[in-house]
Amino acid sequence: MSAQVSTPNDTNIEVTSRRGRPSKSPTRMAFERFMVNKAAIISTVVLLLIVIMSIAAPLITHVSPTHQFLSSTDTPPGPGHVLGTDQSGFDLFSRDVYGGRVDLLIGFVDTVIVMTIAMVLGGLAGYYGGWIDSLVMRVCDFMFNFPFLLLIIVLSAIFNTTSVWLLILVIGLTGWPGMTRLVRSLFLNLRESEFVLASRMSGAGAFRIIFRHMVPNVMGVMVVQATFAVAGFIAAEAALAVIGFGVKPPTPSWGDVLSNSLGYFTLATEPYAWVPPAALITITILCINFIGDGLRDAFDPSFEA
Amino acid sequence: MGTYITRRLLGMIPMLFFITVAVFLMMHAAPGNAFNSIMNPAIKDPQALIASLEAQNFLNKPLWWQYFHWIGLFVTGNWGFSFAQHAPVIDLVGPAIQNTLILSVMAEIITLAIGIPLGVLQSRKPYSGFDYTTSVVSFILFSVPYFIFAILLIYLFAIHLRIFPAQGAVGTGPNAGSLLDHIYHALLPALSISLVSLAFYSRNTRGSMLEVSRKDYVRTAYAKGLMEGKVFSKHVLRNALIPLITFFGLDIGNLVGGAVILEGLFSYQGMGLLTISAVNNRDYNVIMATTIIFAVAVLLGNLLADILYAVVDPRIRYN
Repeated sequence: MSAQVSTPNDTNIEVTSRRGRPSKSPTRMAFERFMVNKAAIISTVVLLLIVIMSIAAPLITHVSPTHQFLSSTDTPPGPGHVLGTDQSGFDLFSRDVYGGRVDLLIGFVDTVIVMTIAMVLGGLAGYYGGWIDSLVMRVCDFMFNFPFLLLIIVLSAIFNTTSVWLLILVIGLTGWPGMTRLVRSLFLNLRESEFVLASRMSGAGAFRIIFRHMVPNVMGVMVVQATFAVAGFIAAEAALAVIGFGVKPPTPSWGDVLSNSLGYFTLATEPYAWVPPAALITITILCINFIGDGLRDAFDPSFEA
Repeated sequence: MGTYITRRLLGMIPMLFFITVAVFLMMHAAPGNAFNSIMNPAIKDPQALIASLEAQNFLNKPLWWQYFHWIGLFVTGNWGFSFAQHAPVIDLVGPAIQNTLILSVMAEIITLAIGIPLGVLQSRKPYSGFDYTTSVVSFILFSVPYFIFAILLIYLFAIHLRIFPAQGAVGTGPNAGSLLDHIYHALLPALSISLVSLAFYSRNTRGSMLEVSRKDYVRTAYAKGLMEGKVFSKHVLRNALIPLITFFGLDIGNLVGGAVILEGLFSYQGMGLLTISAVNNRDYNVIMATTIIFAVAVLLGNLLADILYAVVDPRIRYN
């Protein structure tokens, strides 16, 4: 049993190289399965383009998204303003291009916040069970019933700010219970499995069992869920903006541009105002969901590429 | 089962207590109150008027006193008076719940009536052209946020074709307030909710049907010579619907509070719109009432989901 490294010339060696090819890591196999999924690849490219557009916004338009052109409000598309201006004099094209920054920031940062809370609380509840489990689950029930509209107003008053980070904080603080329940149920299942028993028998502590044995096992599911969460938070930003609780002007966001064009006349006569932000939100969410779907297939070992 | 339900119902009381305390404290932490915005130039001394109105409504008492005063009245059925709309809270909540229920029950009916049959049809011939097309379409529908659908529906049916109203829950004229008028107004918002959630239901129905039809007992049923239709209806369909019952129970919890965004978008006078305006106006009694109603609905919905689960699946017992 000396041949740990397989070479093509070796004929009587380990099981892994019997098929005549080097063994692949699970991550590499998942990556290869992902790469044959056409919808997921196209979505990745489109999403990357949108991300690049948002980051490189100053290179695409010279017009400031926060400057109010007070002498030319509500203008149709023309040479100075590619998509015209809204009733406050903001340049629409510039706000569409820059708006992605806020939406993507909310999507990614809130996913990190929610995933961290869910892994810690859900992991503790699922691993230890008992009163910790009951406590965490009751807090989840509590949060499910929490009126987050009120929370936004209160926090914006306490911190005396209407910045994007406040919205990120509120969405993050109210968005974790669903994910926590999922992590808990995954950990509850894993806790009873043989490999956890084996590592406990060989004297591993709780910390080691959770982080070295259980977390890597739920990672695949969590990555997929995190992808869907990014899409969900981007939708949440726009939804809040539609009812007037979103990012406040002059900060540009897709939800803000959309909600400013929802008046009857704007909707009826100025499609150039509301179609671009609506399309950007929809395309971004669609791409992220296709990627999530591709990742789910890729991480599923029963799926044949 | 009886003891289980009683225990769950009693368990709601501390939960409701914590929720109301938290909301009460947050509400008072928000700046200003409903009277601060009095700016009528005809009033000589607005500060004195605000002070007397605050005293009338006990806003100058300590917070804990106000909370227990409010909860004492609330449990006896006196839900207080709306500061912003100058009407008893009960009179505001009643029609709002009615409107919201019309909207969400319609949405639920459309969702179930299309989503489940669609999923069943897809699973009858998996990986066929029909299955593939409808799966992709429902995946796309599932990804589009419902307020985008709502905007598109308003643009198409209300602004261009002018056959449905763009906002409101009731119209004007002789038929205003009739059931038909309500349904007419609720159709567009209900459709926008349904398009998203019927995709969710059809996806889950399809997956669940395919999973059950691979089970050993289905093969046994075929092996003993049962007709295709009988295997399908008695063995596959009934078992495949079990996981969907849970979603249905959770939907019931959301019937009252699930459409806040759409109600805001359509200016549909339901619980969501009532809550949005109450939060904006610091209308304390209305905020407390809607919060409690939302919470009770969600908690009862969760309980109903668990009970339904035990009813349809005899393996589950609560003791």
